[in-house]
Amino acid sequence: MAAVALSKPSTAKATRSGKWSPWLFALPALVVYVAFLVYPAVSSLWFSLTDWDGLSATYNFVGLDNYFKLPTDPVVLTAVRNNVIWTVVTIAVPTVIGLGLAIALNGKVHGKPILRLIFYTPAVLPLVSIASIWGWLYNPQYGAINSFLRLIGLDGLAQPWLGQDSTALWAVMVPAIWLRTGFPMLLYLAALQGIPNELYEAATVDGASRWQQFWHVTMPSLRPAHYIVLALSLIDSFKVFDMIYAMTYGGPGTATQVMGTWMYANVFQYYQAGYGTAIAVVITVVAVAVGIPYVRSQTREAS
Amino acid sequence: MNSYTRRGFLGLTSAAALGAGLSACTGGGTSTSGGDSAPASNNLRVFTYEDDTTIGLLKAQIKKFDEQNGTTTTVDSLPGSGAAVYPDKLRTELLGGKGPDVWRIWGGQIGSPFAKAKQALDLTPYYSKYGWDSKINTAAIGGMTFDGVKSGVPYLALGIGAWYNKSLLAKAGLSAPPTSYAELEAMNDKLVAVGVTPCGLGGKYGWDIMRLFEYLLEHTAGPDLHDKLLAGDESWDRPEVVEAFTLFKKWQDKKWLPQGALGLDPADIEPGYVQGKVAYTITGPWTEAQAILSAKKSSSAFGTFELPTDQSPSRHSGFVEGYMINAKTGNADKAAALLDFIVQPATQKALQITASTVKGAEPDPKSLPLAAEWSQKYAGNPFYTIQDQAFPKKQADQYFSVQSDLLQGSMTPEAAAKKMQEIVSAWAKG
Repeated sequence: MAAVALSKPSTAKATRSGKWSPWLFALPALVVYVAFLVYPAVSSLWFSLTDWDGLSATYNFVGLDNYFKLPTDPVVLTAVRNNVIWTVVTIAVPTVIGLGLAIALNGKVHGKPILRLIFYTPAVLPLVSIASIWGWLYNPQYGAINSFLRLIGLDGLAQPWLGQDSTALWAVMVPAIWLRTGFPMLLYLAALQGIPNELYEAATVDGASRWQQFWHVTMPSLRPAHYIVLALSLIDSFKVFDMIYAMTYGGPGTATQVMGTWMYANVFQYYQAGYGTAIAVVITVVAVAVGIPYVRSQTREAS
Repeated sequence: MNSYTRRGFLGLTSAAALGAGLSACTGGGTSTSGGDSAPASNNLRVFTYEDDTTIGLLKAQIKKFDEQNGTTTTVDSLPGSGAAVYPDKLRTELLGGKGPDVWRIWGGQIGSPFAKAKQALDLTPYYSKYGWDSKINTAAIGGMTFDGVKSGVPYLALGIGAWYNKSLLAKAGLSAPPTSYAELEAMNDKLVAVGVTPCGLGGKYGWDIMRLFEYLLEHTAGPDLHDKLLAGDESWDRPEVVEAFTLFKKWQDKKWLPQGALGLDPADIEPGYVQGKVAYTITGPWTEAQAILSAKKSSSAFGTFELPTDQSPSRHSGFVEGYMINAKTGNADKAAALLDFIVQPATQKALQITASTVKGAEPDPKSLPLAAEWSQKYAGNPFYTIQDQAFPKKQADQYFSVQSDLLQGSMTPEAAAKKMQEIVSAWAKG
């Protein structure tokens, strides 16, 4: 008893310090998070309610005017449509190709490490380099794509790919798919390697075909990977800016504008920082709304 | 409507952050970077967009200035970005509180926002001190004067013309450049007939292919009307503008422009006349150093001509470039002294400026024969403001969008003229 009584104060002290120690460990990250994310986000929210030009020292509070202007801006409508097309295509295609490559590379394939490297390399190349390379490939007169089409007698298919509204957005999506396929491939490959062989052996014993094994063993086992791939790709796709900016600058005209590039144009080029920031807030809200299910699923798993 | 200052807001939010115990991360940067000038020192920073062919010359001259004045000047450059990107970077630096003491900028509507936002210093006292009014071309000073305030010192007044490849013209049986618009069209036809694309312009960013349309507008509208159109003093919805848009489409339809010109990057297509891919381009004297000499070609293989407008006076597109001083610099006197040093004829010559705004700094015919020839023949001609400096960026982009729709056939010349009137009148009224 005496021993217990003696140890009481030190236990309470330890409990108190134990209560704070997680916060102490989290503090450096929290400080960085508040300084570089929360504070700029709150500032942006405020500026979206003003008519600030982005350069002057003064501005006026205009309430929700900038948000009310959004639906009447024809470029915003184009940008939203382009964002939706971009999101659907650049998620669906790389995910399907990435899954296919992962399954192929998970089997008995010669030169697996080299193939993985080849498929993932585009993901680590600088985006501006990718944009320049593909810009040259698409050159209507001297580019490799049109030259190849002419070489095989398909002259009629040779197009000014980046120079017309009808093809420009699709032409930018091709390199985006090319560079984004490596990421789902790696995630799926890691997930595939975690599926126990016993499941396939049992399925084989039960007489399941390869196709049935894929749908009833592989796909359900990949569910967590699907979730990560889809959530991260969705956020990434909605934030698209760099590829469009570097390859078409939002053109021809405004044909390839997306919300990110239109926000940039307003904030940095048209001196309409208030309006541009309102666009940024909308992008953020949508991205956060999309990200919430992912974060919740992660939290649920952790707990 | 309540007015606020950005600094005030940042200060308030910083204070709130401080109150929350987060002063270490948010307080310092914002509370100390108020609207006051930076402390005086002997250090200057210059921000420019010189490329590899000229940055060395500028640094050498600035070193000379430093030696004479006991200063230490850093030069940062963002080469090759053009007017589409450089002002964004400058703006970001200024807002970040670490803006340069001196920056290079284009005149007209590109430099205007920096003056109107009072980020650029009013240089009127320095104009008096150094007598710049009497030394620098008056029209060029006008290009750096905003709402009556002299906010910049122009040192370049560049004219835009045609720069051509002599051997490709010879291939089409042409021995001399055209002297009328009809001759120019005939020249284009002859070039196409021998398989040569006449005019190398690219539509990415809009400003490059714009140089053709503004020339066509000068041809159809004439100097007086063209100037009034640019100022929003006359309606764009008129036959002269419709004719200019009709000709613009004709240039594409007759393959006088590269295939898919709208999607081409000017940086890729402009040097095409040097590489033998197109017969000529529409550009300024900087191309001699940037495209011809950097490709180790002889200037004698190329030529220049002013695009024939069939109008009197004969004019070409032009624009000014100069330097501004940061309104918040602590070294305004030293920065002004640097600008005065830069606009000295000897410095201008050492910098190999191809179209200086000061007399006695004409290009050297030995090192830049074509730029010298252009200067001698055409620099004395009046010029109209290049359209991407005549309009604010937003209106310029809307105008580029009209160009794009017209060339793709989704808009008629008549509709394009009407749309331009909407764009320009909305801006002029604003």
